[in-house]
Amino acid sequence: MISVQNLRKEFKKTIKEPGLKGSVKSLFKPKTEIITAVDNISFEVEKGEILGFIGPNGAGKSTVIKMLTGILTPTSGECMINGQIPYKNRKEYVKEIGVVFGQRTQLWWDLALRETYAVLKEIYEVSDKDYKERMAFLNEVLDLESFITSPVRTLSLGQRMRADIAASMLHNPKVLFLDEPTIGLDVVVKDNIRRAIQKINEEEGTTVILTTHDLSDIELLCNRIVMIDKGKKVYDGPINDLKHKYGQMRELCFELKNQDALSALDYAKTFSLSDDDLAVDSDGVEVKVRFNSQKASVQEVLKYTLNSIDVSDISVKDADIEEIIRRIYKEGV
Amino acid sequence: MKRIFRLHRIFISQHLKRLMEYKVDFTVGAIGFLLGQAVEILFIGIIFSQIPDLAGWTFDEILFIYGFSLIPKAIDHMFFDNLWMIGYSIVRKGDFDKYLTRPINSLFYVTVEKFQVDAFGELLMGIILITYSLIRISGNIMWQRALILLLLVPFAVLIYTSVKILTSAISFWTKQSGHITHMFYAVNDFAKYPVTIYNDFIKVIITYIIPFAFTAYYPASFFLRGENGWFCVLGTVLISLALFGISLIVWNRGIKAYESAGS
Repeated sequence: MISVQNLRKEFKKTIKEPGLKGSVKSLFKPKTEIITAVDNISFEVEKGEILGFIGPNGAGKSTVIKMLTGILTPTSGECMINGQIPYKNRKEYVKEIGVVFGQRTQLWWDLALRETYAVLKEIYEVSDKDYKERMAFLNEVLDLESFITSPVRTLSLGQRMRADIAASMLHNPKVLFLDEPTIGLDVVVKDNIRRAIQKINEEEGTTVILTTHDLSDIELLCNRIVMIDKGKKVYDGPINDLKHKYGQMRELCFELKNQDALSALDYAKTFSLSDDDLAVDSDGVEVKVRFNSQKASVQEVLKYTLNSIDVSDISVKDADIEEIIRRIYKEGV
Repeated sequence: MKRIFRLHRIFISQHLKRLMEYKVDFTVGAIGFLLGQAVEILFIGIIFSQIPDLAGWTFDEILFIYGFSLIPKAIDHMFFDNLWMIGYSIVRKGDFDKYLTRPINSLFYVTVEKFQVDAFGELLMGIILITYSLIRISGNIMWQRALILLLLVPFAVLIYTSVKILTSAISFWTKQSGHITHMFYAVNDFAKYPVTIYNDFIKVIITYIIPFAFTAYYPASFFLRGENGWFCVLGTVLISLALFGISLIVWNRGIKAYESAGS
């Protein structure tokens, strides 16, 4: 369905020295440097898949999405979606995709929501019969009825996002690109949106590419994630593999009563753990011990700690997906 | 083609609905606009009452050229005003994304999105000045030439629009080009008067470089005197088409260079 090969995007950036003087200088003698926003990324997406596309801010997620949607022309490399090259045959191509940029609305700001849908119906040449069916479906999934006659400027962020997703689905696209569809929303609305995305995917077989910073989105919606950092792909695979790989890690947190007591503890020797299976962080008072629970049982580690030193507070945490990703962002896979 | 007109109608009606949405703004805007037009008519009256004739053109002929110059300008203003926003903010803020994710031509989409009601005033004034000057000239009107003049209007509009497309497309590389558009556009003030009053430098510029002379003086002078028919008529057609072709090429290259903005 989607095939991305060695996709690359470079931007030319003018370097300016600070201040007005620097600005004037760069006007006459501009210095430029080339910034690689996306660095030879390749991946494939099957039909009907929901792919989570994650990475820290500035990793190049949006740039990839913009290339896949035909907004940006890649510097090199190829992407083929549904047999079409986005930036080559743009007008034909965009008929088959839906795009939502969470930070920007595509609705007509001053008009009733219904008017936006009426215009989109014409732009995408949706027949009256299909339009009725689509609106019924989208209304059921996204519950638009209560605000469809209000001007878009009066909608709440949650309503607006639902309206935006409906707008992108009106022409029944084969691929749906969602760039941060849950940004800034409260928990309940997030839940609604996730359920809607899931339903659209199940009932229409729509392939969904989703970028997000909310890892619950990923956990609830995606079977597979592609993670990028500094323009490079750092992970591509099922989310379960990641959990499996890092999932046995547990984190033991405690507060020391006596600051010097830490030297009395030697987890590595006691449980014969290698560097891969153990990490100890301490700021003098608070100590975090991350260890592989397959090599050393939680019970034993806890017992050893409590027997060796006095602590004022202690807890054991599961490695959740957030923790895993934080580690990967920090260290790489 | 049918689809284009259909979309055009829909967008215009949406735009008018949007104007009606803010009633106070619309009413005050309309009043202010009528006042502005009244002042301008007064101003033209004062200027031309000082000029009995100019470089061989009578007062009425000058008035006709001036009036005719407003027609293509007004039509361009009415339908293609949104191009200004491309150079001023749409590209810089990354809002051009929207136009690229729809299955219609991006240039068409940009222009169709706005419909400038203000331009009716210019159009009306142009018609008034033309009628008034024709009544005063009162010779027998050459219907053949009148028809040709009418047919040249779309080409004259195309010159205005092409200049805007060309200069606003520069923003795809420079992020902002509104002031460039403004600078080029300002040259059209020269086109309101007979080209023969200018020195050769300006003449060459407004004939061949930024060919605004073809939006008013050349077609109008052909109508009035029937001289230089080939140059005036064919020139308007060819120059406008050439300029439009170039502007489309630059626009399409620009889209490939478009960098969007961070989100």
